[in-house]
Amino acid sequence: MSSIKQIPVIEEKRTNPLARVFDELVRFCRSRSLFLLHYCTGCGAIELPPAMTSRFDMERLGIQPMVSPRQADILLITGYVSIKTLKRVILTYEQMGSPKYVIGICSCTVNGGMYWQSYATAKKLDEYMPVDLYIAGCMPRPEAVIEGLQQLMQRIKTGEAKGWEDYYRNYDYYLGNQQKLFGNDWQTPTDVITEAKHYDLLGEGTLGEHTALLEQHQQPLEALEMRLGHQVKEPAE
Amino acid sequence: MRPENYEAQRQPPSNEFELNFGPNHPGIEGNYALKLKLHGDQVVEAKADGGYLHRGFEKLMEQRLWIQNIALVPRICVPDPSPMELCYSMAVEQLCGLEVPERAQWIRVMQLELSRIAAHLFTFGGHAATTGMYSTMYWGVADRDLLLDLFEEFTGGRVYSIYNIPGGVRRELPDGFLQRVSETLDYLESRLPDYDNLFFKNQVFVRRAKGVGVMSQEQALAWGVTGPNLRATGLAFDVRRDDPYLVYDQLEFEIPTEESGDAWARTLVRRLELVQSIRILRQVVEALPDIRGPIRAPIPNPLAWNVPAGEVYTRVESSKGETCYFVVSNGGPKPYRVHVRGPSSMHAVQVLEKMSVGSRIEDIAQTMFSLDACPPEVDR
Repeated sequence: MSSIKQIPVIEEKRTNPLARVFDELVRFCRSRSLFLLHYCTGCGAIELPPAMTSRFDMERLGIQPMVSPRQADILLITGYVSIKTLKRVILTYEQMGSPKYVIGICSCTVNGGMYWQSYATAKKLDEYMPVDLYIAGCMPRPEAVIEGLQQLMQRIKTGEAKGWEDYYRNYDYYLGNQQKLFGNDWQTPTDVITEAKHYDLLGEGTLGEHTALLEQHQQPLEALEMRLGHQVKEPAE
Repeated sequence: MRPENYEAQRQPPSNEFELNFGPNHPGIEGNYALKLKLHGDQVVEAKADGGYLHRGFEKLMEQRLWIQNIALVPRICVPDPSPMELCYSMAVEQLCGLEVPERAQWIRVMQLELSRIAAHLFTFGGHAATTGMYSTMYWGVADRDLLLDLFEEFTGGRVYSIYNIPGGVRRELPDGFLQRVSETLDYLESRLPDYDNLFFKNQVFVRRAKGVGVMSQEQALAWGVTGPNLRATGLAFDVRRDDPYLVYDQLEFEIPTEESGDAWARTLVRRLELVQSIRILRQVVEALPDIRGPIRAPIPNPLAWNVPAGEVYTRVESSKGETCYFVVSNGGPKPYRVHVRGPSSMHAVQVLEKMSVGSRIEDIAQTMFSLDACPPEVDR
């Protein structure tokens, strides 16, 4: 497994004091209005209803569940991810709009947990996507979940939660691990490299041998083709 | 996104389209998916797509000691974990010929019934949420939390209790615990009329749920349906009464049934079972102080425990249906083979596939929640 290239975090030193105030305001607002993607990947999801509803009430922190990845800010990985789920998790993560944050709940996302010897689960989540915060435990209590979310809010406010930038800067590393697990022809419909260019986050680790392999195997429309049993015909010229 | 992926393709004329329903969908219970073929908003064909939660339990259990598996089995069914550990413990006890002390049996009944109430509150809260009535869900989850507090007090774990071991239960009840169980039951009983007024008598629920996902008794038997879903078709079959385990033969309770076999009947059966579970718990709370004695039969050193060779099949009535374990031992320190027969694998795959056909897309979530299918147990 290739080791992650440590890239110094680029401090955004804005000279204009007004811009600095504006940045701070934006970060404050971001931390107070978070939408949680409604995707239950494992058993930790059973502690989310108590955390969301009357007793522990996540909503008082400004956190609410959201059904579509496009509008969500936080991707909660609640427990073990089987390989089949991990594909969907990566697809979902890439579809979310930046800035986006990943929280790994339960021990299974840290090191495999109970299922460390299982043939069907991915053991370490941060090999496949950057994780901003882990909440360990099997399973963590709702208080722990709320505490973790508060820590994330704090980190967003101070500008430390930058996992999503890490994904663009080290895309080659993450893609390499994904290819190792899913096969060399693995691809997602999202063009991460173009997005990285767009966000001006093209780092040393963005391009490499694995992205070259991706270019080689890329096939348009394979993943999105409707499978209704009939042939998709070429449009007539 | 690459624009070439989103170019409109010229399709042959068809009024059917395919829809991936789940796994990331609020109308689906847990991490599970359905592939629907739709005509307008009517389902023409449904195909279950599981495997998102597969962990390979049956293989993992072959690689761990008999005692280690106790920690593993509750994870098979997350909302209702207690029957799983009990059923496995019963299998090991039968293989070893262990006699469980009477007090441990009563405590196990209490654990099972508390777990059943918690699971039912969660289920009909979920069903209410699919019909848009979120208050019932909020109430159900909040009341379930009271039961989880009880679980935390006497087992140490909120969700996964890991309280049973082969031969009995792990520890004695705390002081004054039965009093607190009794108080919680009083509170729950006082809440039942509120639930009726908010949800079960609500015309929104009655009109939405009646006639959705109907199955006849013959179909239910042919498809391997068990538990409340079977009782909702009019057959009063309950493992607790018909093949009693623990001390259920000494307890008084009824088997509530409904005739219509639709989503409404299934959720109503769960509501009626709450009353019966409370009734059982009251009897347990009354009887437990007089039953003294050990809570655990002596077992050999668990780290070097060679369970005698043999095959055994045990079954327990969980809140979802019949939970069964088939355990084979070859006399070694680890199980040779463990097969889990969970109720949800039937409910969420073959029953849901067949019942979805002809229904409308907004009723799929209702059908699934009223079947009370538990995806982690389907995939295992």
